[in-house]
Amino acid sequence: MRPVGFSTTPNLVLRLPMWRSRLMLFLLFFVFMMLLLRAFWIQGPGNEFYEAKGVRGTQRELELPASRGKILDRNGQVIATSLEAKSVIAYNDTVPDDLSADKVKKLASLLKMSEAELRKKLKEERKQVFLKRQVEPAIAQQIKQLEIPGIGLNNEYRRFYPEGEAMAHVVGFTNVEDRGQEGMELSREKELAGHPGQRRVVVDRLGRVVEEMAILQLPQNGKDLNLSIDSKIQYLAYNAVKDAVEKHHAKAGGAVVLDTQTGEILALANYPSYNPNDRKNLTGEQLRNRVLTDTFEPGSTMKPLTVAIALEKGSVKPETNMVIGAKYLVGPKPITDTHLYGNLTVSEIIQKSSNIGTAKIAMNSLSSEEMWDFYTAVGLGQAPKIGFPGAVGGTVHPFKKWMPTDQARIAFGYGISASLFQVARAYTVFARDGELVPLTIERSPNFKSGTRVLSAKTAIEMRAMLETVTEPGGTAIKAQAEGFRVGGKTGTAHKLVGKGYGNKYRAYFAGLAPISAPRIVVAVMIDEPTNGSHYGGDVAAPVFSTIVSETLNTLNVLPDNKMKQMVLQDKNPEEVRTANLQTQQVVLKR
Amino acid sequence: MNRATLTLLALLLICSLSLVAAQQRARKLFVAQERAQIEERKLNQDFLRLEYEQRNLSKSARIRDVARNQLRMSPISPERTLYLKEAK
Repeated sequence: MRPVGFSTTPNLVLRLPMWRSRLMLFLLFFVFMMLLLRAFWIQGPGNEFYEAKGVRGTQRELELPASRGKILDRNGQVIATSLEAKSVIAYNDTVPDDLSADKVKKLASLLKMSEAELRKKLKEERKQVFLKRQVEPAIAQQIKQLEIPGIGLNNEYRRFYPEGEAMAHVVGFTNVEDRGQEGMELSREKELAGHPGQRRVVVDRLGRVVEEMAILQLPQNGKDLNLSIDSKIQYLAYNAVKDAVEKHHAKAGGAVVLDTQTGEILALANYPSYNPNDRKNLTGEQLRNRVLTDTFEPGSTMKPLTVAIALEKGSVKPETNMVIGAKYLVGPKPITDTHLYGNLTVSEIIQKSSNIGTAKIAMNSLSSEEMWDFYTAVGLGQAPKIGFPGAVGGTVHPFKKWMPTDQARIAFGYGISASLFQVARAYTVFARDGELVPLTIERSPNFKSGTRVLSAKTAIEMRAMLETVTEPGGTAIKAQAEGFRVGGKTGTAHKLVGKGYGNKYRAYFAGLAPISAPRIVVAVMIDEPTNGSHYGGDVAAPVFSTIVSETLNTLNVLPDNKMKQMVLQDKNPEEVRTANLQTQQVVLKR
Repeated sequence: MNRATLTLLALLLICSLSLVAAQQRARKLFVAQERAQIEERKLNQDFLRLEYEQRNLSKSARIRDVARNQLRMSPISPERTLYLKEAK
């Protein structure tokens, strides 16, 4: 008998079936295979979801800021610039309800609003509320230091206009989004506007940028804009108009100064004006750029144009004598003058501003077609193409529709309409020996050749006539400028009220200086002067005089006229002697 | 393991370490560049602000005001100006 050991007793031998271990082995193998497959899936074809999640945690798309271009005057002086500002935002679900009264008070005072108003804003339903926009960086820094949870700051730009009221109508203004709303800001929006870029970056756990993945779009700063306006001349023109409007209790006024050599607009002033830095007052009448957008019957300022056609045609000469008389009957209403004239030469018709004389010249020697052709050639009836929003063209009806009475009245500026700017432009013809100069509001200081519409001879004859207007016997002695020979034409037009002419007037003066070699054309308009005289020669001519003498001094133009010792007259003789001595010494030193 | 394998292993190790170091350096430089860019923008803004302030101080309205009221000056006029012509 085989001995049986204790540990090997056959009764204790466990006979497990083979399939069980095989099954276990298979199951384990299967599970591991599944895990392996899953791992392969996650890292291989099915990893999009996880990758996106990872990217979301570490990558951000950030904006690359771009600024709006500056607007500069002809001397490179800033007249509109964008400075960084902050908008203060409240994330109302994060701002604690039990915010201390002290912090609310401080925040309200920094935002310049009442505590009640601030609390109301913080309790609004919306998640995100703008507490204030375009806050100065220094104040924004103080708000940040208050460390109120849920109060955030966003970058934005604010536009500043250092020239304020004087330049408002030229530059215009932008809205809170930094988009142009008026003036050059609107018309050159495309060039001025900046286009922000975008880039993708990797951020760390604290949100700091640690790596740049790609620049998705490059930022583009807006281009700077150089205007032809001279801020000094603009300022003095604005002040001259403003003073006249206030002195004569007028409704409004405007002036334009053109450089006859380069065709540049040196000044374009309007009053009443507004401060573009103050957003509260950016509505209403004051926004109107009257020089460009208001049309009116140009009245007597048209007479030189009519006479010029007759001179050019050879029908009359400056010294041709004409019978004027008390009335001239064309159509139902007779044409009259303010004074009774017997005979006048053509030159005197301009000097005295005779309606009858001008109408007779037109009716006797000009056809309506010839008049229409010339008026259109000098730019009447067409909006000036200087890229200004709202510039209007006025009306010159087709000559075929003109009745004789229309022709007679259009000759001296009624039944036709134009803006002050168009009148000024038409006068460049006299300043430039018969050429109409193309005008621009962008800086381009080169001499421009124009389109010839008159012979040089006629233009020079017209200049001599225009000068007589400002001499004794003329209608605008007050237009004389110290040191310079000037010429121009007054205009006093009845304003159309409803269907007829009421008791309201517009006073104009359009002229050029210095007569010996014209450098500037200036046109002035004062609307509804009520205090004292309403005549162009009394109201608008003094404004012309101030603008001309100061502008020509600014441009360093040599005087072409004798000067009177006006300022030193009031001083005692000793003072005058010393002053003369000092000036002589200056000459010697040089 | 023979000597060649060991050398390669050592090289691999050095390469990996230098890669990490280079990446670290790149990040540092990037952060510095970012900072410099922010500084550049800030300086640009300061320049614009100063330019604006300078313009505000030098604008015609202020000069006229200061000249008339503080310095008691009067505007120039041709009758008190000497025009010098260059000798031909």
